[in-house]
Amino acid sequence: MIAMSPDFTVETTTRKKRGSGGGLLKGLKRMLAGESLFLNHFTATKPDQTLLVGPRLLGDVIHRRLQGGSMIVQGSSWLASSTAIDIDATWQGFGKAIFSGEGLFWLKCSGEGDLFLSSFGAIYEVEVDGDYVVDTGHIVAFDDTLQFAIRKAGASWIGSFLGGEGLVCRFSGKGRLLCQSHNPPSFGALLGPKLKPR
Amino acid sequence: MQHVVRNRPSFANIHLQLQRGDRIIAEADAMASMSSTIDMRTRFSGGPVQGLLRRGFGSESMFVNEFSTASEGELVLTQPFLGDIECLELERTSLFLQPGAFIACEPGVRLGLGWAGLRMAIAREGLFRLRVSGRGKVWFGAYGGIFSREVTDEYIVDTGHLVAYEPTIDVRIGMAGGLFSSIFSQEGLVTRVRGPGRIYLQSRSFGGLAAWANAHLW
Repeated sequence: MIAMSPDFTVETTTRKKRGSGGGLLKGLKRMLAGESLFLNHFTATKPDQTLLVGPRLLGDVIHRRLQGGSMIVQGSSWLASSTAIDIDATWQGFGKAIFSGEGLFWLKCSGEGDLFLSSFGAIYEVEVDGDYVVDTGHIVAFDDTLQFAIRKAGASWIGSFLGGEGLVCRFSGKGRLLCQSHNPPSFGALLGPKLKPR
Repeated sequence: MQHVVRNRPSFANIHLQLQRGDRIIAEADAMASMSSTIDMRTRFSGGPVQGLLRRGFGSESMFVNEFSTASEGELVLTQPFLGDIECLELERTSLFLQPGAFIACEPGVRLGLGWAGLRMAIAREGLFRLRVSGRGKVWFGAYGGIFSREVTDEYIVDTGHLVAYEPTIDVRIGMAGGLFSSIFSQEGLVTRVRGPGRIYLQSRSFGGLAAWANAHLW
C-alpha cells in the first residue's frame, strides 16, 4: 500500500504456503514454522475512496481480467486482486523439480475479477500455441490451461548447468504466458558480492 | 534474422526472430525465453584456457551459448542489470568492452581477451577486458542508460561509468585531483581517455549502487 483515502477497513488474513523451494530441509523447516502468505483486505466504507498500491521492485505493473479460469502467478509478482478471486498458495505444480527453488513460490488465482501483477523489468506476453521455453526466473504468470515441464536447457546436464541457464520451463498447449525481461537472482548475484557481510 | 531492443533505456531486452541458418552467440544466462524450435548449445568461449582466465579475472562466465534453429523461432535475450542495451555493427573493426557488458553477437564476431593493465585491476575493473572484433552485430549492455561520445583529445570518465571504447582510444587510470580531494570528493580513481575514437558511457554506476546499499545496511 502506497497511500489511501481514510475510509477503508483493513483486515489481514493468511494463506498457508507450500513448496517454496530451497531444498528438502528448508521445506521441512518452513512447514514446521507454518510459513504463510499475508493478505491485506481493503474494503471501502464510503464512496469515492482511492487506494494506491505498488510493488517493491523496479518494473512493470499490469492488469488482467480473469473470467472464470485460473492463472498460476509467481509469488512475488502477485500485487493485488479483487476479493472474488480465490488465491491458493499451496499450488505445487513445479514441486517435482528440486531446483525450482530460488525462493520462488506460486499462487493459483481463480474466479472472475481483476488481477494486478508486477515484475522485475518489463513484462511481455506470449500467446503460446504449441511449445515455448522460459527460464523459470522469468515467469510472471500463465493460464493454467497450459501444460508445463521443467527441463534442462541444453542437450546435456553439464551444458545446462555451466551454460548458466540451468532449468527452464517448457510450456505446451494453448494459453497466455506473461514473462519478465529481468530476473532478481541474476541481479542479486552481481550485487551480493559487493555488499558488506553482516 | 530480425532483431529489436525493447523497453530501452531502463529494462532493455533483445527480441530476435531467427531463421534457418541464423546463429547467435550469447553470454551464459542471457536467455530469458525462446520458442521450442530454437536449439541451444553450450561451449567454451575461446579455448578452455581463455575461458578459465575470463572466469578468474573478468566477471564473464567461461561459457557461451550458441542458438540456432532448423526452421524458425523467437529468442529473447537479456542482461542481469536494469538498464540499456546497445547494438553495434562491426565491419572488420573491434571494440573493447568492460567486464560484464557483453551480451550477444553474430558468429562472424570473435571474442578475445585483452590485457587491461594492472592499474585497471586496482581500479577494480578487472585484469582483462573483452575484445570483440570481426564482422557482424554485437549487443552490449550496462546498469543505467548508454550514450556515446566522440573523443578527440583528452577526456575524463569516472571508472565505473565506462562501458566500451574503440581500440584507438588510449586509456589510463589516474586520480581525479590531488590525494586529498581524491579521498574526500569520493571521486577516487578516474579513467583518462585520449582520442581519437568513440567511447560508450553508462548513466549509472553499479559500484555506486553497491556503495549506496552498503551505506544503508546498518
